[in-house]
Amino acid sequence: MMVLRRLLRKRWVLGVVFGLSLIYFLTSTLKQEERTIRDRTLLEARDPDHRIPWKVRFNLGNSSRQITQCRNSIQGKALLTDELGYVCERKDLLINGCCNVNAPSTRQYICKSCLANGCCSIYEYCVSCCLQPDKQLLLERFLNRAADGFRNLFTAVEDHFELCLAKCRTSSQSVQHENTYRNPQAKYCYGESPPELLPV
Amino acid sequence: MILLPVWASMLLGLLVGFLPLVGMEPTGGAKSGSDSTLNLDPLPSSSGSNCSSQLTLKLEFSSKVVEHEYIVGFTGYFSAKARNLYISSALRSGAETVEWHIVPRENPASDFPSDFELVHIRQPSPTSLKTLEDHPYIKRVTPQRKVFRVLKYVPSPEPTAPCNTTRGTQKWQSWQSSRPFRRTSLSLGSGFWHATGRHSSRRLLRAIPRHVAQILQADVLWQMGHTGSGVKVAVFDTGLSEKHPHFKNVKERTNWTNEKTLDDGLGHGTFVAGVIASMRECQGFAPDSELHIFRVFTNNQVSYTSWFLDAFNYAILKKIDVLNLSIGGPDFMDHPFVDKVWELTANRVIMVSAIGNDGPLYGTLNNPADQMDVIGVGGIDFEDNIARFSSRGMTTWELPGGYGRVKPDIVTYGSGVRGSGMKEGCRSLSGTSVASPVVAGAVTLLASTVLNRELVNPASMKQALIASARRLPGVNMFEQGHGKLDLIRAYQILNSYRPQASLSPSYIDLTECPYMWPYCSQPIYYGGMPTIVNVTILNGMGVTGRIVDKPIWQPYLPQNGDHIDVAVSYSPVLWPWAGYLAVSISVAKKAASWEGIAQGHVMVTVASPAENDSEVGGELTSTVKLPIKVKIVPTPPRSKRVLWDQYHNLRYPPGYFPRDNLRMKNDPLDWNGDHIHTNFRDMYQHLRSMGYFVEVLGAPITCFDASQYGTLLMVDSEEEYFPEEITKLRRDIDNGLSLIVFSDWYNTSVMRKVKFYDENTRQWWMPDTGGANIPALNDLISVWGMAFSDGLYEGDFTLADHDMYYASGCSIARFPDDGIVIAKNLKDQGLEVLKQETAVVEGVPVLGLYQTPSDGGGRIALYGDSNCIDDSHRQKDCFWLLDALLQYTSYSMTPPSLSHSHSRVTPPTGTDRSLPQRLEGNHLYRYSKVLEAHLGDPKPRPLPACPHLSWAKPQPVNETAPSNLWKHQKLLSVDLDKVALPNMRAYRPQVRPLSPGESGAWDIPGGIMPGRYNQEVGQTIPVFAFLGAMVVLSFFVVQLTKTKSKPKRRKPRIKRPTYLQQQQQTMGKNPTV
Repeated sequence: MMVLRRLLRKRWVLGVVFGLSLIYFLTSTLKQEERTIRDRTLLEARDPDHRIPWKVRFNLGNSSRQITQCRNSIQGKALLTDELGYVCERKDLLINGCCNVNAPSTRQYICKSCLANGCCSIYEYCVSCCLQPDKQLLLERFLNRAADGFRNLFTAVEDHFELCLAKCRTSSQSVQHENTYRNPQAKYCYGESPPELLPV
Repeated sequence: MILLPVWASMLLGLLVGFLPLVGMEPTGGAKSGSDSTLNLDPLPSSSGSNCSSQLTLKLEFSSKVVEHEYIVGFTGYFSAKARNLYISSALRSGAETVEWHIVPRENPASDFPSDFELVHIRQPSPTSLKTLEDHPYIKRVTPQRKVFRVLKYVPSPEPTAPCNTTRGTQKWQSWQSSRPFRRTSLSLGSGFWHATGRHSSRRLLRAIPRHVAQILQADVLWQMGHTGSGVKVAVFDTGLSEKHPHFKNVKERTNWTNEKTLDDGLGHGTFVAGVIASMRECQGFAPDSELHIFRVFTNNQVSYTSWFLDAFNYAILKKIDVLNLSIGGPDFMDHPFVDKVWELTANRVIMVSAIGNDGPLYGTLNNPADQMDVIGVGGIDFEDNIARFSSRGMTTWELPGGYGRVKPDIVTYGSGVRGSGMKEGCRSLSGTSVASPVVAGAVTLLASTVLNRELVNPASMKQALIASARRLPGVNMFEQGHGKLDLIRAYQILNSYRPQASLSPSYIDLTECPYMWPYCSQPIYYGGMPTIVNVTILNGMGVTGRIVDKPIWQPYLPQNGDHIDVAVSYSPVLWPWAGYLAVSISVAKKAASWEGIAQGHVMVTVASPAENDSEVGGELTSTVKLPIKVKIVPTPPRSKRVLWDQYHNLRYPPGYFPRDNLRMKNDPLDWNGDHIHTNFRDMYQHLRSMGYFVEVLGAPITCFDASQYGTLLMVDSEEEYFPEEITKLRRDIDNGLSLIVFSDWYNTSVMRKVKFYDENTRQWWMPDTGGANIPALNDLISVWGMAFSDGLYEGDFTLADHDMYYASGCSIARFPDDGIVIAKNLKDQGLEVLKQETAVVEGVPVLGLYQTPSDGGGRIALYGDSNCIDDSHRQKDCFWLLDALLQYTSYSMTPPSLSHSHSRVTPPTGTDRSLPQRLEGNHLYRYSKVLEAHLGDPKPRPLPACPHLSWAKPQPVNETAPSNLWKHQKLLSVDLDKVALPNMRAYRPQVRPLSPGESGAWDIPGGIMPGRYNQEVGQTIPVFAFLGAMVVLSFFVVQLTKTKSKPKRRKPRIKRPTYLQQQQQTMGKNPTV
């Protein structure tokens, strides 16, 4: 035992131990660095100059294709919007998830309750309005300069309908002081600008 | 030479980073180091030593009766003082005089409420024991027994499991338990861990394996092939490191914070993810589930609503099935957040959230766990006691007009639970943030067992969990919700589930104690404020629903159902998945002097649009019955009735209402609701034990009949008063109503001083009142020549032989000449807060008693501090003072200890000092029900109409209900017998410490497939470390051959590795949210 103790006191022994530890320390730190960078490239940043290859498919409004199953906005209290842009009452929803276009209250591409800045007070109308074919330019413009916080969200969007569902939701752009809406009346926005800030 | 391996192992450990000498962090490969230390450790440490000799602990005990000593059991948990009081009142009421005293129990638990007392009775007679037992709060009287316990170690008669299967657990077990963990049958109720009769028998509490998935019998479902596959689970937390060895199916990690990392720097997120989905060591519930890691908390535990909003949107887009949120906060008025949580559940995301770690105080529920559509989870320990930290009490959204909902929904293990460590290995943690992922993991596992996933939605899952939960005895519903999670029963229910509506609670039995506390603590009577029970309707049929027609009230004629009136209000739309059904119960006039039990039920039909119906416009309907049982007593006399003013109590949220005790800097907000069933619970219990009937006024003062009540109690009021209220109160007091005011501090300079920058809302917060709103109170009491000052005092004093603590209170500035005023020497806390100077002020008037001069006029008592009757941050209670004041106000008996106190002073005239004014530019009008914004100063609004209940038209039925509603009331119409579990061989997954290099070929029986590692576990580091170690080792070998060994001087430091190992185990046992 004593031998070991004395041995350990020798400077060069400690030196070797320290050196090895240092090498280990550096490699592990570097490895970690490398890993975070990879993650970031995986999920967040893309080359800023390069145009983001948005996967969004825009379905044009003439809807000539035959749809047997519709996706719809699921969440509504009373209303639903299907992927063709029809807004209907829950009771008028067909079994395939589409709105019954023959129901008297069903409307397509309706911008009811929406303001000029692209913010609406009812979510379903926001989605329907956003699905209008002529909103494509606006949305493309928005996507190309989506805010950082939005990147994760909008890179995962598959098509026009998903984009409108996601864009109309309240988000980090909808609040001031974190716990209040910028505009509690018209808070669902398909447009580029956040809701107009209402004075308290 | 023998010591060589020890040193080698130490150095090896050092090299791979086990000894944190050079600031290294252990990484994925480090486990090999710990393994070798274990194996080379020459000391007979606890780990592994049990393998060689199998011992079984045998426990025997015998007992004998101790003479003259009796254990008096109470119906609930009471303070020592209250217990003493009950016993003395019970023995005093008996015919004979009994000599008795309480045997003191000197242990740390004596500071807390208890449900029994040890009493020595000199000459006990059967009658005296009988009188004791007759007391309403005494459950039973039993002779004290002396218990002799003998511990014996005996060699195990049968061979136990081979060592390596239990190796993982042994490290944390102090000794191997004699109780076999294997079970032979899974018949319901036989599971040892589910036996909740913790009061029924005395048993030794033993070291318990904290593998929570096993305790909850997840292995049964694993063996059936259910492991959570195909279910998407989102963990909203502090992130997860990429190469964590415990996870095999991390689908995605995203970062929503402003820190550029996805890794967990705290260990919280890793732990939570591990409880849900770890596949090795400390196993989670659903190892095959798809994990989505959302990093929404920074390493400094900062997060913002806006981060959550974006992250939640992403979770909706990704069609997450189960979402665990081990976070929470008091701000249920954060509308963007609350709306977003609704939106999530409306999109079929099952939200599981922790109820909060602010217990044992009541009124501490956290958002979002307190929402109807979220599964709110409380914590228990492994002995089935509600964990002290677990938040509790009703929700406070509904105050002051309504009554809170029952939360948490269920409870589960949250204390000392083991889960994944930050980099590798396991650790144990406590907190409701641990309990929440236990439920989230269970929910994930359950969801994967259901064939028709369409049936799984936030409501049906919650219905299955609460219907299957096992009730804990002796705990009320505002602490345990529906009881403790029972995974297997939930599985059975979920697999025979048909879409339907259900109620939570599923019945109203106002006589059932203690489960229905506080309802069971006070019977109802004619003329009292209606008792409100806020029932939650869960609708498993669809995200929206409605109540068809109106709920129907059907009194049971044979059971006096016609003696009560019932009014029902409910959500116009049940969205998302839930709504409320508020049942107000009142006694009919004909039962004004009647005593007895009345029963009936409310019938509700819920309809939802049928989504899978071929016919357009089809609806699903479900009818549920809500049985009601109440105890009615004759209306008590006016003097016994106390009215608690809830209407004028404001709190956070929405506004910044500061704490009443300024010393409590880490808890700056007054957020517990200030209700007799939240943070004034002890006071309420005390008043009940003194025989007072306490009712709550949730409407303006103009809305009650003052001739019914002896005393109006106003404590810590922050609200303003309508002019009509002030006039009415004056008239009431002239007519004999008495008033007790417990005020609090109000000093504009101090208010400016306690403003703070709120990190969450990124703005400065200025309080809108002080502890109380003294300018408003002064407006109310000025007609009697009374006023409070803006002084701020603090200190200890003695009053009538009671120790008192004045925690940030004000003083009385003006009082009528013929009143009684008590003054004390106190510290000027205002000076301390503002200038950090201490000064003692002599003769601060703190208490005033006054008899109004008019004929038959009432009495007024003022006290400057409310902290001593408030449960939050209370140091010394002053319930005795409240008793004395109530004696004065209700019975006109002036307590001599106060009227003849040497602290009595001549009442202050207060003309020398101006009275406190409202803080310039305060925003109270934003949160006030009384004020509204106006040009210039805010003005009172027009007086609102008093609440009006429309009583349901009774439709009497000739039915009788069973005497015990709980046992008979079905929570869900599910036939449990249909889904029988196969009688399986009990099985425990083999848990082995990870050793790299071992391929995926190890056998895990049952459903757990030995999936690929999430990532290749640190390949290069161990190799590198090994090479380094070899160099050092060879060097030593060379050296040793050269040098001779000498006798050692002192003991070698070989304990080092063991010490470190222990240190690692005990690390991080801090509760977290």
